[in-house]
Amino acid sequence: MTINRILSIGILLSSIAILFTGCKPKGPQSVTTSGAAEKVYVAPGQYDEFYNIVSGGFNGQMSIYGLPSGRLFRIIPVFSVFPENGYGFSEESKAMLNTSHGFVPWDDLHHIALSQTNGEHDGRWAFGNANNTPRVGRVDMKTFRTVEILELPNSAGNHSSPFITENSEYIIAGTRFSVPMGENRDVPISSYKKNFKGTLSFISVNPQSGKMNLSFQLVTPGVNFDLSRAGKGPSHGWFFFSCYNTEQAYTLLEVNASQRDKDFILAVNWKKAEEYLKQGKGKKVSNVKYAHNFIDEKTDVATSEMLNEVMQLDIAELKDIAYFIPCPKSPHGCDTDPSGEYIVASGKLAATIPVFSFAKIQKAITDKAYDGDFNGIPIIKYEAALHGEVQKPGLGPLHTEFDASGNAYTSFFVSSEIVKWDVKSLKVLDRVHTYYSIGHLCVPGGPTKKPHGKYVIAYNKITKDRYLPTGPELAQSAQLYSIDGDKMQLLLDFPTVGEPHYAEAIPASLIAPNSTKFYKIEDNKHPYAAKGEKQTKVERKGNQVHVYMTAIRSHLTPDNIEGIKLGDEVYFHVTNLEQDWDVPHGFAVKGAANAEILIMPGETQTLKWKPDDVGVFPFYCTDFCSALHQEMQGYIRVSGTGSNVPITFSTGKIEEEPKGK
Amino acid sequence: MKKIIFSIGIALLFYNCAPDKPKTKEEYPEFDESQTPAPAASQVDPTKGIGIIKEVTLNKPIEQDRVKRGVSIYEMKCSACHKLTDQRLVGPGWKDVTKRRRPEWIMNMVTNVEVMLDKDAEAQKLLELCLTRMPNQNVSIGDARDILEFMRQNDGEK
Amino acid sequence: MNHSLNSVNRILVAFCAVALASAFFTPLWQILMWAPQYPEGLEMKIWINNLTGNVKIISALNHYIGMRTIEVSMFPEFKYMIYIVGVIISIGLITALINKRWTLLMFFISLGAAGLGALIDFYMWGYDYGHNLNPDAPIKVPGMTYQPPLIGTKQLLNFTAFSGPDIGGWIFIAVAWIIFFVFIAEQFFLKPK
Repeated sequence: MTINRILSIGILLSSIAILFTGCKPKGPQSVTTSGAAEKVYVAPGQYDEFYNIVSGGFNGQMSIYGLPSGRLFRIIPVFSVFPENGYGFSEESKAMLNTSHGFVPWDDLHHIALSQTNGEHDGRWAFGNANNTPRVGRVDMKTFRTVEILELPNSAGNHSSPFITENSEYIIAGTRFSVPMGENRDVPISSYKKNFKGTLSFISVNPQSGKMNLSFQLVTPGVNFDLSRAGKGPSHGWFFFSCYNTEQAYTLLEVNASQRDKDFILAVNWKKAEEYLKQGKGKKVSNVKYAHNFIDEKTDVATSEMLNEVMQLDIAELKDIAYFIPCPKSPHGCDTDPSGEYIVASGKLAATIPVFSFAKIQKAITDKAYDGDFNGIPIIKYEAALHGEVQKPGLGPLHTEFDASGNAYTSFFVSSEIVKWDVKSLKVLDRVHTYYSIGHLCVPGGPTKKPHGKYVIAYNKITKDRYLPTGPELAQSAQLYSIDGDKMQLLLDFPTVGEPHYAEAIPASLIAPNSTKFYKIEDNKHPYAAKGEKQTKVERKGNQVHVYMTAIRSHLTPDNIEGIKLGDEVYFHVTNLEQDWDVPHGFAVKGAANAEILIMPGETQTLKWKPDDVGVFPFYCTDFCSALHQEMQGYIRVSGTGSNVPITFSTGKIEEEPKGK
Repeated sequence: MKKIIFSIGIALLFYNCAPDKPKTKEEYPEFDESQTPAPAASQVDPTKGIGIIKEVTLNKPIEQDRVKRGVSIYEMKCSACHKLTDQRLVGPGWKDVTKRRRPEWIMNMVTNVEVMLDKDAEAQKLLELCLTRMPNQNVSIGDARDILEFMRQNDGEK
Repeated sequence: MNHSLNSVNRILVAFCAVALASAFFTPLWQILMWAPQYPEGLEMKIWINNLTGNVKIISALNHYIGMRTIEVSMFPEFKYMIYIVGVIISIGLITALINKRWTLLMFFISLGAAGLGALIDFYMWGYDYGHNLNPDAPIKVPGMTYQPPLIGTKQLLNFTAFSGPDIGGWIFIAVAWIIFFVFIAEQFFLKPK
């Protein structure tokens, strides 16, 4: 061994060591994509191509964004009060938030379902679920207002909801938590297997009015229902649900509900259930209590009724309504493709994505290709129902949507990416990163028979460094990708409010032309409307004082009110006399313990006010309406309990200054 | 071989720099434009104002059923700003309006207020005086005619 | 073997022995991890008797796939590493002091043995940590194990992991090379007088 050789080996070794450290990778580079700005730029005054109707998660609202710009247009309060426009505070809207537990000012809205006709978007209504106090809400897409809320009895954690059939026959509401129900509700938690049941509520939707009705409930063994989709085309008449916790654990589900290699997809033949109901096999249960709230179409005032009956069918007793299909670990998304033939199940802890075939499921049922049963419900053999598995798609698959060309787009939480794959061949075609940890995704029209395609939007669960920091609490991060070409392309980041879960997107042309501009004052049937200043007045009924007030640019009538006494409840019924688009007025009075009200042209809204002191209190218009907006104000005088100041009211009346005091 | 690789590199470079395909005109939802009728290109008589009302036939005696409807529309949509006397509130009082203005001008002002305030000299004078743009109250042509009849009655016509 | 050292080399040896003391004040080894959700990266620094960095976050993430919580008590090495390094430094100082080539050889061998031993030890820990998984873990990927890389980078599920020397480790390596070259020089170039 010569010295030279020793030296050269030494140098070689050192270079290898340096090389190793050279492998130290850089963090992900920020993705720059050419031409992205142009693709999302909507010039001033131009309109977006799609409405994106996005769930607000823990804010209990829906929010409306434009695509491709990602601009936020509107927040629609559904299950949460909204002081900004008086929802849940005005006398007209309070009843919307009534439940069997009384007035509930908040909920957690996870999923959106847009109404469909023949399996396509019809742009009439948007439905959303309340997760915490189980309810389903309906938003009218003409006015973008919540018009109806139906509570769900025998449900706990309305997560598997709302999903809609292809002609909006039913909205589904599956329980996340199974609970004891009926007479026997005070039971040990450890008696889960024996006493806890799940329910799948079928809410019918009136094809003309949209009015919801809890048609029937299917009672199921105690498991957790996660997500769902209706069948379509050949599979119309069926519903598919993902279930987890088939271990029937009732504590530390993180570990105890993740033990089985396979949980289930539950396939439900609801047409069969309808037949059984017709045959009188349903059981009417009357020990329930649930609220049904809706806006009266004539008066625009919400009313609430309490219902006490529900029709139930037990899927374990009626053998041929429901079938379990094994599905790898803790399935989340359970999505039917546009053809209705394939059902994609995403096990969030699984390493593959199984795709089931509706035709094979039908054959398996005919052939009785079962693998035993689960609490009396047949389990179809995995292989008998399987179209195939997508191999090595990514980590933590959650949810899948589709385009019109036979491609599926699946979100992966753990590996933080969207993976595009071919539904028939199950081949992975493309993958893009999301920033960071995507939850649901949305393709315009993705859950319908005719997806509009063009984009996929990622609703990410982690924001971190995507925007300028705003302390520990951050906006949520959504991302828009183009799916026009073979390669998905990141176009835009846009921040969202609340915590979006699922969202739908719909072409603007299906909604914009029908959008209400104002309410016709002639059609206002509100009991306290003042349709013209001649009808303004102040009326005392015991300790209630009703002020019939009008608002028009730029004065309130009456704007001088006297004769209120301490202990009175004052109701300001404000009618906006304007008859043009975008001239709302607002109303606020000093010391009001609730909120303001916003009154759209032609409508009447009521704010209740309980003065707590004597004196003269100001009220004013809160929505900048005109050049003289700041002049749009008035005074209300509150006198002591025993005072004999008479009720008087006026506008523009100038009196002699009173003598003496 | 090197040359081939080099030229591929160049080609890629150019490919990346190639401009995107021209953006196809996107279709935006169409809105109903009927609310704001197009101003007539050549208005013969400026005292008739601007709008689709060209000729109004007034009958004698005044039509009482029109007056009745006119009153209720006035109370609902107009009275907040217009008094029936000559006193100005937000807008001018209505007393003698039918003597000051042609019936066509009145109806055009009621039904086509945005265009009138932008183009009609008389309407603009009123705006200078009142400093508040008269709002579009979405009054139909028929309703405007009823209001006109009520104005005539208010001005003492029989 | 009993020759004394060249004076430059003697200073170099003394310098190296002193430089090794930096092992008490600087991290020796680092493990860095990146994931799409962690573009800023997570790090774990191994010191002579301690662990620092995002150890808790790493443990919390790893528990999903059944890996144990990383703690200082997991490493008995932390109890005696200071003594080993102390002995090596002493050998270096003695070499400079008594100025004998055989102690130089001992110094070099002890450096090499310590480095090699540390790598073997680290590999064995990594193997155990990456293979010995909790059977009740929520996420079980068939056939997947999570042994961290010995040196260099490795993809582990959604994480890219890197393992390599930190400041103290680099100083150690530099010292080992200097001593190696000093030894070569003494043995082959500087003929004993």
